[in-house]
Amino acid sequence: MELATITAVPFGLALFLASPLARNSLSKPLQTRLSSLVMTALFAWLLSAYPHLARTGAIAQSFDWMPSLGISLSFYLDGLSLLFALIITGIGALIFFYAGYYFDEADEHNRFMIWLSAFAGAMLAVVLSGNVLLMFVAWELTSVTSFALIGFKGATDAEAREGAFKALFVTGAGALALIIGLVMLSVAAGQILYPEEGIRFVADIDLILQAKSLHEHEWFVLFAILIMLGGFTKSAQFPFHFWLPGAMSAPTPASAYLHSATMVKAGIYLFARLSPVMYQNELWTSSLQTIGLVTMLVGSYFAVKQTDLKGLLAYSTVGKLGAITALIGLPDQSGLKAAFVAIIAHAFYKSALFLVAGTIDHATGTRAIEGLGGLRDKLPVMFWVTVISALSMAGLPFLLGFVAKETLLDAMLHYTAPWTQLAMLMVVLSSMFTAMAAFMLIYDVFLKPPRGRRHFHELSPWIGLGPALLALGSLSLGFLVQPLIVPLLEVATPKPFELHLFAGFNEVFLLSLAILFGGLLLFFIRKKLIQLITFPISGDAIYREFITYLEWAGTTVLHTQSGFVRYYLVIILGAVAAVLIASGTLSTLTAGQQLFPSDLSVTITDLAKIFMLFLTVAAGMLTVVVREHVKAAIAYGVIGYAIGVIFLIEHAPDVALVQLLVETMATVLIIIMLGRIRAGVRLRVINSLWTERRNYNLGFLRDLGISVLIGVAVFVFSLIALQNRPLRHSIAEWHLENAATVNTDDVVGAIVADFRGTDTLLEIGVFTTAALGLLTLLARGRQPGSSLAPLVAPVASSSEFDARVVEEIQDATSLSTPFTRSVSFVVLPIAILIGIAQVLYGGNGPGDGFTAGVTIGLAVSLWYVVLGYQEAKALLPWFRPELIIRLGLLIATVNAIFPVFVGQGFMGHIEFDQALGIYDLVGSFGLHVTSSLIFEIAIAITVMGGLGIIIEAIAYPTDRTQETIRSTDPA
Amino acid sequence: MIELLFALSIGTLFGIGVFQLLRRDLIKAAIGFAILFSAINLFFVAVGAFEGEFAPYVSNVEAGRQTSDPLIQALILTAIVVSFGSFSLLLGFVNIISRRYDTIDSDDTNRLKH
Repeated sequence: MELATITAVPFGLALFLASPLARNSLSKPLQTRLSSLVMTALFAWLLSAYPHLARTGAIAQSFDWMPSLGISLSFYLDGLSLLFALIITGIGALIFFYAGYYFDEADEHNRFMIWLSAFAGAMLAVVLSGNVLLMFVAWELTSVTSFALIGFKGATDAEAREGAFKALFVTGAGALALIIGLVMLSVAAGQILYPEEGIRFVADIDLILQAKSLHEHEWFVLFAILIMLGGFTKSAQFPFHFWLPGAMSAPTPASAYLHSATMVKAGIYLFARLSPVMYQNELWTSSLQTIGLVTMLVGSYFAVKQTDLKGLLAYSTVGKLGAITALIGLPDQSGLKAAFVAIIAHAFYKSALFLVAGTIDHATGTRAIEGLGGLRDKLPVMFWVTVISALSMAGLPFLLGFVAKETLLDAMLHYTAPWTQLAMLMVVLSSMFTAMAAFMLIYDVFLKPPRGRRHFHELSPWIGLGPALLALGSLSLGFLVQPLIVPLLEVATPKPFELHLFAGFNEVFLLSLAILFGGLLLFFIRKKLIQLITFPISGDAIYREFITYLEWAGTTVLHTQSGFVRYYLVIILGAVAAVLIASGTLSTLTAGQQLFPSDLSVTITDLAKIFMLFLTVAAGMLTVVVREHVKAAIAYGVIGYAIGVIFLIEHAPDVALVQLLVETMATVLIIIMLGRIRAGVRLRVINSLWTERRNYNLGFLRDLGISVLIGVAVFVFSLIALQNRPLRHSIAEWHLENAATVNTDDVVGAIVADFRGTDTLLEIGVFTTAALGLLTLLARGRQPGSSLAPLVAPVASSSEFDARVVEEIQDATSLSTPFTRSVSFVVLPIAILIGIAQVLYGGNGPGDGFTAGVTIGLAVSLWYVVLGYQEAKALLPWFRPELIIRLGLLIATVNAIFPVFVGQGFMGHIEFDQALGIYDLVGSFGLHVTSSLIFEIAIAITVMGGLGIIIEAIAYPTDRTQETIRSTDPA
Repeated sequence: MIELLFALSIGTLFGIGVFQLLRRDLIKAAIGFAILFSAINLFFVAVGAFEGEFAPYVSNVEAGRQTSDPLIQALILTAIVVSFGSFSLLLGFVNIISRRYDTIDSDDTNRLKH
């Protein structure tokens, strides 16, 4: 029984459905059946844990996560989690099946299934996590997936966007409160369980549940309120309930699953989960009761006022959630049994009703109750599903809903508080409204004579299977209370209890009947009743006001914005400079420091360094004063080379090599890019900035001031850092001593590929991301009509400038002479050989995966410079960067994960040659086949692929450069 | 002495980078950005903890020779490649801007607001 696996399976399903394999070659029905089958299997798997739970009470499994903080990746299954997990997987299986016949478009269906399975995984993680922090992460994941599902049609539907945002906003705000509350709770639990140990973080649920005196903790009020805020927002309790009706823009299967059966019950799960340590506090119980009862009444009343079918179901869900919250808040946990029965009953009837609503919407194209009617003959299965489910909702004997209603009334009747009478009145009233809503569902939707003829969309008969099974559950589970429900609740509730289908003709039964008749009565006078009461204020109105103010504030702030990017930089950097001066940071730093060295002697190597430093500064100045961009780029290249030489003098051969190669690459890239920008554009900026010099002097002085200030600050900072560096007392000592253990001579290589391998892994990830970002950016810019496409049609305006100047500035990339061509042909194979040598023998000398990748990339870029995009692409058919990059990342990832399976940990060091017995064989070539070598190969391949993507993206010929070339070339 | 000159060069390069970053000419600004990267790498190599006389190789260590600081070199090594990645992304931005707005004068691209 691996709880982690159970949680991971739906995520795996989502990934599988998102893979090209499933999207392209798995048909819609197959995807449907597969996902439904997976959920069924999980259901069965969870159910098989029952006997174990009945014996031991709970299963806890734990993996180390952040052991230093006492946080583990732990999972916990007890009766409570089992109840919720069974609902999630069981109802899930039916809903996944239903969704297969809900969507007509295969693409939409696939996208929906992906999100829905991701949600199922997140929801399972909420109820199965054994650690409140993990639970919180999963909690947020359910909000995110819910956002995607509510906004599923967001591309075309503004209401869906608004609903999705509203839901995320409310539940997200609640989650902020929740995380603070949970952290405080964990610290408090730590203080109680380990009083002798300062601050200790106890986040594991089984430990928290042992902290029985939590309700007496001094922080209790604070964290109880914060946690309740999280639960109330998630479970749509008044006054945060308004997001739930807004969430009805989701496709109906999602509404049925998330916003009725599972996600909205996450808050309730949280309350029930913490109830054993919280219930002894008055604040906790009375808040849950009050908010729950008010929500119950408001929700069930608003339900009957709705004109939209899903709106009715949404508000009625709000009402039911309120009732369950109130039950959990009853003193002494006496309402838990009733709450759980209500959760089960509600999951069955409400999901079924939602699915019916979805079917009706799909078939008739409307959900307005007013426009429906007469559907009994057209949708006979749906009609009977509705009859059973709605009557279960109303509490008709002897359906499942009846058991729920009886236990609810029973719990409320035994609850004694000063205001029991009032609470009872609220329960009865809201139950009557619920019964009324049930009758409306049956009569107004199915029986009432229809108004006019409407379009009717034929449906697959399979669509009825899910709702029918759910209705069957509502119908039969009432009779199966003893064999099925009682054992499940026995492990979930803390105390022994009794539960019967029919407890006799007692006052509860009479009350139930009275409620049914009351509901029927209300149903007959519904037209008048609905106009009777209006609610003066709603949470939705407050939310709208808030958003309006937020937008107003946004527009107001916008007035202060110039929109000139450069001025923002001026303000930011100017502020940095001003703060540096005003705060006296510089003088604090320099206080007591001997800034200027007394010893002015220089050695011979110092002279070389000084020359190179001079070169960097001089070239830096040059980039400022030259006008032409090409010259500035070359001056920049000089800075890079000079720094490379400094690295060499400082005994850093690896770094020097990378620096020289990368700077060459960067300079080449600037020059290629200059060729892609229309010459007229570049000339215009040079003319307007250098010749006309508008606003030149003032801005020049301002920028000069800012850069001098920042430069001085950096100077002082580096000087102090340089004079106070911890000579020979650093972690580097350890690396020098231990490099021999990973079989490399080059310590830098050992650090990159081994000691700090995870860093490097992430870094090639960053590099790849940058390359892909560039690719998408430029590809999008080429798409006509996209948000990055040219705004104005290109003008062949080069005639406004001297043709000679244009030609001079035009194309630094047209270098295709016989000589350069032959050079580039020769250079590539040599570069590949050098690259291979660097990877294989990098362990014993300068060079490693990075240099190998850049070397080959550089040679390829030479082709692009010399031959141009088309020809280079045609001549290098094997150079497919998009495939190369995938290969590299794949090798790197597999190589990183593989050691885990042989007990070495992530990115562990493995000597493959030793393991395979070829140590001597490869050793005779001077090789060591280790995981670091494979990692170096992966780095080389990834960097090469990334560079290839960058070169291809930047060198891609654009219409505009073509056009400019034509316009300047008279031939 | 050499520390002073290093610090002076780093400070000057940083100042030049900031100055270039503030230019209206976007290509100059991009080059300024790259100069900032160079200045930072220079700083890192300068603050390496060891006054080494030899490259950091195990064979040198075993021979009892004073090597330069390997850790900081490894950090610079990856930093160089990553900064190149972000620099190329920056060049991509300049390229896109030049085609979308038909200018590389940053003052003509004040559509951020709209």
